[in-house]
Amino acid sequence: MRMTDPNEDMLDDLFAQARRVKPPVSDDLLARVLADARPPETSVDAPGIWAGLLDAVGGWFAMGGLATATLAGLWIGIAPPLAVEELTAGLLGETVTVHLGSASGFADFGELGDG
Amino acid sequence: MSIAPDPDVTIPDEALLVAFANGDQLAARLLASRLLPRVLAQATRMLFDRTEAEDVAQDAMMRLWKVAPDWRQGEAQVGTWLYRVVANLCTDRLRKRRGGVSLDQVAEPADDTPSVGAQMQTAARMRALSEGLAQLPERQAQAVALRHLEGLSNPEIAEIMDISVRSVESLTARGKRALADIMAGRKAELGYEDD
Repeated sequence: MRMTDPNEDMLDDLFAQARRVKPPVSDDLLARVLADARPPETSVDAPGIWAGLLDAVGGWFAMGGLATATLAGLWIGIAPPLAVEELTAGLLGETVTVHLGSASGFADFGELGDG
Repeated sequence: MSIAPDPDVTIPDEALLVAFANGDQLAARLLASRLLPRVLAQATRMLFDRTEAEDVAQDAMMRLWKVAPDWRQGEAQVGTWLYRVVANLCTDRLRKRRGGVSLDQVAEPADDTPSVGAQMQTAARMRALSEGLAQLPERQAQAVALRHLEGLSNPEIAEIMDISVRSVESLTARGKRALADIMAGRKAELGYEDD
């Protein structure tokens, strides 16, 4: 019975020689690697928190729609059913004007609590 | 330009990577000085082609820079991650060699080879070893290289390759046997006497 395999002995010798291979890092390689080391996007050009929030809901255009929908919901919530029907008719056939912060819009809102 | 000695080896690689992600360029220099020699050595031992090994080293470091912002401390070690990336990049290149692409550039000979003749013989042997690795299935080639060229333990290799220790043992055993058979045909050419 053979105790060692000569082919494996040769291979072990090759492995040992390979482990001694320690190539020097050339200046060129180091320069290339450091040139690649660009920090990730910095905060210099980063948008602020309000821009981030705005992006989260889809930008100014979506914000306009959101405001309209919010006011419409508010209107439906506080208006009697008849008024809803009038609003629907208005949306389908006529121009609807919503006054932000108008006396009629928010003065009434204050009286809702006691229903 | 040269690599300056690492002034503070107590800072973990992972902390330096996070510092780099936060814009600290000095952290990148420290990481490069620590990691690049080992990355280049691993690639050179597997490929034994200087140009290819340098390209792999640059590619691996580039991937490290890119992953930096998403690096989560405690989940992985930079060294383990790099071993895996380099092993994968090298087996990609070894696979391409199977198509008959010849090695066109010999890597730096080992520093302690004394004569030109010995250097040439070492280079021929290392080139033949790399060609032999290229003929193995990729996972076997990776396991054999990590075990026998890098000198890592089986548990370390298991973590790098994300497999069980038992699988590592199987891959290295089969890979080494197959590689020994492949290299046996080049024994005389590489200057080994028949027993």
